[in-house]
Amino acid sequence: MQNLMIRFLISSGLFLLFLSCKTHEIPNTIKIDSDRKNFQNHYFSDSQKDYVYKANIEVYGKQLGGIFVAKKINDTLHRAVLTTDFGNTLLDFEVSENSFNVNYCVDDLNKKIVLNTLEKDFRLVFREKYNIEEVFENQTHTIYKTKYGNRFNYLFEHKSDKMLTKLTHTTKVKEKVLIQFEGKNTTFAEKIIIEHKNIKLKIELNQISN
Amino acid sequence: MKIKMLLFVLCMNFTVFAQEQKMSATEISSFKTAVDKETKTIKSLKTDFIQYKHLSFLSKDIETSGKMYLKSPNLLNWQYTNPYQYSIIFKNNKVYINDQGKKSSINAGNSKMFEKINKLIVGSVSGNLFDDEEFSIEYFKNKEFYITKLTPKTTTIKKYIKLVELYFPIGESTVSQVRLIEPSDDFTKIVFKNKQLNAKFDDSVFNQ
Repeated sequence: MQNLMIRFLISSGLFLLFLSCKTHEIPNTIKIDSDRKNFQNHYFSDSQKDYVYKANIEVYGKQLGGIFVAKKINDTLHRAVLTTDFGNTLLDFEVSENSFNVNYCVDDLNKKIVLNTLEKDFRLVFREKYNIEEVFENQTHTIYKTKYGNRFNYLFEHKSDKMLTKLTHTTKVKEKVLIQFEGKNTTFAEKIIIEHKNIKLKIELNQISN
Repeated sequence: MKIKMLLFVLCMNFTVFAQEQKMSATEISSFKTAVDKETKTIKSLKTDFIQYKHLSFLSKDIETSGKMYLKSPNLLNWQYTNPYQYSIIFKNNKVYINDQGKKSSINAGNSKMFEKINKLIVGSVSGNLFDDEEFSIEYFKNKEFYITKLTPKTTTIKKYIKLVELYFPIGESTVSQVRLIEPSDDFTKIVFKNKQLNAKFDDSVFNQ
């Protein structure tokens, strides 16, 4: 009887482990055949434009507000600055696919975990070109799966207006970051929400006309 | 050729007028006396402002604007109304923030930093920063303005601000423009408009 109990516990344990290690899948989608090899995110692709947003950051229940600006410096590099509403610079950084350089950072934000998180988040937001691995679809969206180091990005393109509305950044098994875009067209996002699944961090950016 | 010469001379003149000169000791003394005297009579102040944030890599400055209410000795409401709503109120050693409807407050009584910010804002608007231990001060003038340049003395402030410039229109004893220059040389310029000294307004503007 005791043996049976142990076997039951082991097998149910393995079953649970198997369940929790299940490869990440987007629910209610089907895989489709597609010849498309690349996906392009044009939201920060115009080097002539100043991208200016009101920023609201919620981190572990604390609120931080300010102004966020971004600019494409060259084909691979974007520069971004976060200031207080009074205009004092809090953070000034440059990010590309392979580099991250902090030009200025106030002491309160100058922590490895903060800078690492922002580096990864904004590399995702600014990145323009993705190589497509697989393509899925649901009723409203075409979803492009792309490889990103040992992680993945799923890019949700709305079927009717071809706008990128969502990007999920995942490991093999779990969603880590969700980025939502709202815009009038494919080249300008009026609203961007970056939400983390493993830490209590949410960054909301709303365009302010400049 | 004559036209070219004339243009050259006109430009030269303009440069000369725009140039800043150091104020003489006598000028500094009478300027300080006038400002101190005026500041003492200010019990309240109401003004509109436009803020320009200059970042060297942007093609255009970021422009925000709003209203400011000040009541002596320590009530201040700094309110952005365009392109978004944001207000920060200094009242009874507390700081109340309303960021597009999201309200929060900070106890400034225990915070030296907020005390300094408060002093800097109130001092910048009223012009009364002259005897502050925090800054070393230089006095300049050009055709339009008396300009005081304040360099922070303490390393805490130096990290954030390299220089504060206060512009007093000639003939006036209150500030019409402030420039806060950061260590990177990027700056915030605040221009005050429709300034009303000792304007009457209700204390309820300091309620969040």
